[in-house]
Formats: sequence, structure tokens, C-alpha cells
Amino acid sequence: MSWAAHQFEVYAVEAHLPKKMQGQISWFAIFFGDFTPDFLAKFWVYGITIGGVHYGATKPYQWHRGWPGMGISHTLFFGALVCFGIWAWKHNRAWTIGYLLGFAAHVLTDVNDSIGTMLLFPFSTLNWSLHTWAYAATVSGGKYLDAAAYYSSFGFMMDLFWLIVVLASWRVLTREFWRTQVVPADPHVWSWLGQWLDDRGLLALYRGVFFYGVCRMIAWTTWAHVVAEPVINGVKHHGYPWDLSWTGPWWVRRVTLPQVTPWIVLPIALFLLVCVYFVAMTLWERMAPVPGTSRASASRNERR
Amino acid sequence: MARTPPTAPTRPSKYVDFLLYAGAAVSYITLSIFNKWLLDWIVGPLWLVAWVWGLPALWNLVRGRPVRPQRGPRPEASDP
Repeated sequence: MSWAAHQFEVYAVEAHLPKKMQGQISWFAIFFGDFTPDFLAKFWVYGITIGGVHYGATKPYQWHRGWPGMGISHTLFFGALVCFGIWAWKHNRAWTIGYLLGFAAHVLTDVNDSIGTMLLFPFSTLNWSLHTWAYAATVSGGKYLDAAAYYSSFGFMMDLFWLIVVLASWRVLTREFWRTQVVPADPHVWSWLGQWLDDRGLLALYRGVFFYGVCRMIAWTTWAHVVAEPVINGVKHHGYPWDLSWTGPWWVRRVTLPQVTPWIVLPIALFLLVCVYFVAMTLWERMAPVPGTSRASASRNERR
Repeated sequence: MARTPPTAPTRPSKYVDFLLYAGAAVSYITLSIFNKWLLDWIVGPLWLVAWVWGLPALWNLVRGRPVRPQRGPRPEASDP
């Protein structure tokens, strides 16, 4: 799984929207799209322990990305279903397309760990994985081992990559960008929040996800390499060892699910990314409000 | 004595903003290294809002100034 990368993606998508969508895609929709897969699946991956009894998935990797399991939450098919639901409910292309882009970013990024995602579900339940780093969520290790493994491997580099992408597009974090591109796309939500928060607070809310991404990246990395004192193969270490090699780190058991050969994953994932882009572009045009719609419909759209 | 022209509308000082953001980051990272429950997708963004908006609001409250924003109409939607 990816960690802070999912927070940075939200801003990367917002900063690199196609020209005709700039200032018109809901930032909240991108956020919720990127957030939904793990919101549905991740809680039970780590589970909770009450009174010494652990409640959670017995095979976290199977639950998180497999079939049967909640792996469907990490499929483009599921994202398309939710988008269909949003469109059927609200007829709002700013939210429908924003959600699609955020969701697709999450699903395609997660092909990097050793279990990957079911990219072609429901046509195939095989997982697509690049094995860039080891998926490390286990019942015994929990969130701590998962974080330590991620921030000792190419997972850390993935977070760093997305952070650099956002920093290279730093204008997306400015007050001016927020005021001219983000607020106009979602005027009612920002206006509603503006009942309680002034502009300074609203801007902080917008930047909050980025802030959280940066802080969790620094905090977990510091904990894993400075604070933690793990015992690995009977040897006590001061900090978890770094391992920036493919499928690392070496000190966790790399779990896998039934999957396709890794060689075709990158081209297919890129192809699907291009497909999502063109689908979004096409739907954006088709979902445009039709001039001369009925008065009731126009009134309904206005309220939205 | 000639009156000086009115100054531009006041906006949050960049210096104060920087201090608030930096304070939020340093405090959040330092505390969350030892209290992992803080590393949560709800707590993180709200931590920033609490520092950047909450502290000035608290300051205004202490000085008897209004805390809730006084604003005009918001921009219109660009898309239905």
C-alpha cells in the first residue's frame, strides 16, 4: 500500500487537470475519490484489539486487495460504479469527474506493492503488481511493522516522488490558486464552511491534507529509523534497516496474491491511465449542461 | 495637519502565517512520533486548522473581537 503518496496525489491531480477542467473540478471530490478505497478496506486490515482479543482480518492482504475480500474497493470498476451513482444522484460533473480522477490515482498507484490491485475486475480477479516494495500489513506486526517496512523501502521513494511532483507544482498550495481555482469549483461547500472559518481557516483546511501527508511521512520515517529498536532474526537494531532494492525490505515476508506476470503491469497500468484521462475528457463534454433545458431542471442545477 | 490616506485592507501577515504553519508542523511531528494515534487522516488536517485558524481566533476572543467571519457574498458557481 502507499501512505503519504495518496495525500500528495490529490494536489498533483488538482495541479495537472486538463485545461478545460481547470477551476471547475471539485477538490473535495478528488480527495474523497482518492480516499474511498482505503476508507472501505483499511480499518479491518489492522483491526482493533479489545480486552486482549484482536478483531480484524485473518489475512490482511487478502481482505485489502483480494477476491473474495474488499479488493473490489481498489478496482476501477468500483470507482466507475460510484461515479455513476454520483452522476445519477446529483448530475454534477465537477464531482463525478473529480471523484473518478482521485479514485483512479489511488488504484493505479497501489499496483506498486507486492499484492497490487485487481485492475481488470470483474473480467479477471487476478491482481496486477509491480512488486516495487513488499506489502507488509500482518496481524502480528500491525500498523507499526507495515509503516516501518514501507518507510524503509521504495515506498519511501514513492512518497518522495509524489511530494516532489506537488512541490514542482507549488502554486497549487497558494492562496491565489485556492481562491481562483478551488473555491469557484465548489462554491457552496466552501461557503458553508465559511460560516465558521475565515479565509485563513479555509485555506488551512485545503492545505491540511498536504500537511498531514508531509508530517506522517516525516514522523513515521523518524520513528522507524531513529526511535524504534527492532529485533530482526535475533539481532537488535537501532532503527529498521533501509533496503532500497526492488521488492524490499528484506526483513519482512513479502506476501502475494494470484496475479499476472509483472512484465505486463506497467504498460497496462499506463494504458489504463490514458484511458481514464480520455474517458474523463469525453464525459466532461457530454456532461456539460445543455442550453435550453427545462426550467425545473435549470433551477435544480442552480441549487447544486 | 494633513490626514494620511487610508491603508490597504489588512490581511493576515505572512510572517504570522509562517509561524503558525511551522508551529503546527513541529508540534504535530514531535508529538506524533511518540503518540501514533495522532497520525490519523482526521486529526492531521484538523491539527493544522486548530493552529492556523484556532489560535488567532482564540486571540481575538480574548481581545473581545468577533471570531466568526464577517464576509460578503461568495463567488458564483462556474458549473452547475
